[in-house]
Amino acid sequence: MRYPKEVVLKDCQEAVIRPLEKADELRLRQFYAAVPEDDRWYMRYDVLDPAVIRKWIDGIGGGTVYSIVALCRDDIVAHASLHMRGYGCTSHVGRLRIMVLPDFRHKRLGTWMLLDLIQLAMEKGLRDLRADFVVGVEDAAIESAYKLDFFKKAVLEGYVKDPRGKRYDMMIMTKRLHKDWGDF
Amino acid sequence: MSANPANEIVWPSRKGDVRIRSFCTPEEIRRCSFDRQFGTHAHYKSLYTRRESLEENAAQPDANVVVALAEGHHIIGFGVLAFPDPGERWSELGPGVMLEVKAIEICRGWRAAKIAPGVIQMMLTHPQIEAKIAYLVGYSWTWDLDGTQLSAQAYRQILIKLFEPFGFREYQTNEPNICLKPENIFMGRIGQNVPPELQNRFKWLRFGVSP
Repeated sequence: MRYPKEVVLKDCQEAVIRPLEKADELRLRQFYAAVPEDDRWYMRYDVLDPAVIRKWIDGIGGGTVYSIVALCRDDIVAHASLHMRGYGCTSHVGRLRIMVLPDFRHKRLGTWMLLDLIQLAMEKGLRDLRADFVVGVEDAAIESAYKLDFFKKAVLEGYVKDPRGKRYDMMIMTKRLHKDWGDF
Repeated sequence: MSANPANEIVWPSRKGDVRIRSFCTPEEIRRCSFDRQFGTHAHYKSLYTRRESLEENAAQPDANVVVALAEGHHIIGFGVLAFPDPGERWSELGPGVMLEVKAIEICRGWRAAKIAPGVIQMMLTHPQIEAKIAYLVGYSWTWDLDGTQLSAQAYRQILIKLFEPFGFREYQTNEPNICLKPENIFMGRIGQNVPPELQNRFKWLRFGVSP
């Protein structure tokens, strides 16, 4: 993969996509601090905990997680990652996670980042990708995933709760990566 | 054809020397034979299966049709650099601004002989190349994955390695056909004399926006 990659968003803003670097710790903390609390609630980790960010930074180059960030005027505005198990019955599956600042949603940035990780997954020889989204909360990401040929694999009804206790469906989306011939 | 004119190089290969000739005229191409491997295979169809297609391209103004010749006048590879068709997104920068690598192909029997770099080199001998933006669009469904025994992703990497030494680099674009498959690729080469204003317009065009 060749980085940095320059992209132009729907509103003509320019962003640069590149791998997360060791020197990004402060920027990444600032990024997650700017993510609305309601969005952070649905993440797997407490990203306001500096130890969480430190662990991610320390994990760079470890081989099981590959993170990319999008920067606009030197600030991180999106973070996406590909998680690989590396062994066992799901070693052919990669899991995608993505977070985009609200001001940068619905501008194709999420699509560009997912596309980048899909290409990486193909280079890594993965055969399937999985991404989980909260319906009604992460609709922009779901929209991006559909554009990239992800399909709804399952819906876990009422599986997650918002901070006030209201339940939401979790959608599991998957994408098959073709090794050889495409669909054409 | 005259021997070793200015628009011709001799390209050494594992299978012997090949003459690579640029700016071929339709008449010159007509005097050559066209390798039968440029045809329809089980899982692949060549970009051009008839010599006449090369002749038609060569007849276009400013088109650079390059042929690789073995055993005299036998075409075993070709490349076509020409202006994009009107109506295509890449023609919107204005007439004569962008040049498309419309085709590059080496017949199956000569694939491992590393002829393609010579074809690219001669395609880029276009006198206006430094004032133009050259580009290529790679659609994975047009690639000979069966003949090369490569995955689409590996074929994509080969394209990148092939064109990068000539100043091409991968660019992002939201052009719908390219976005259909993640392994598709768009590469561009911005000439040294392309003004910054035009480079910016190229950037907007790639993403279909106008500030």
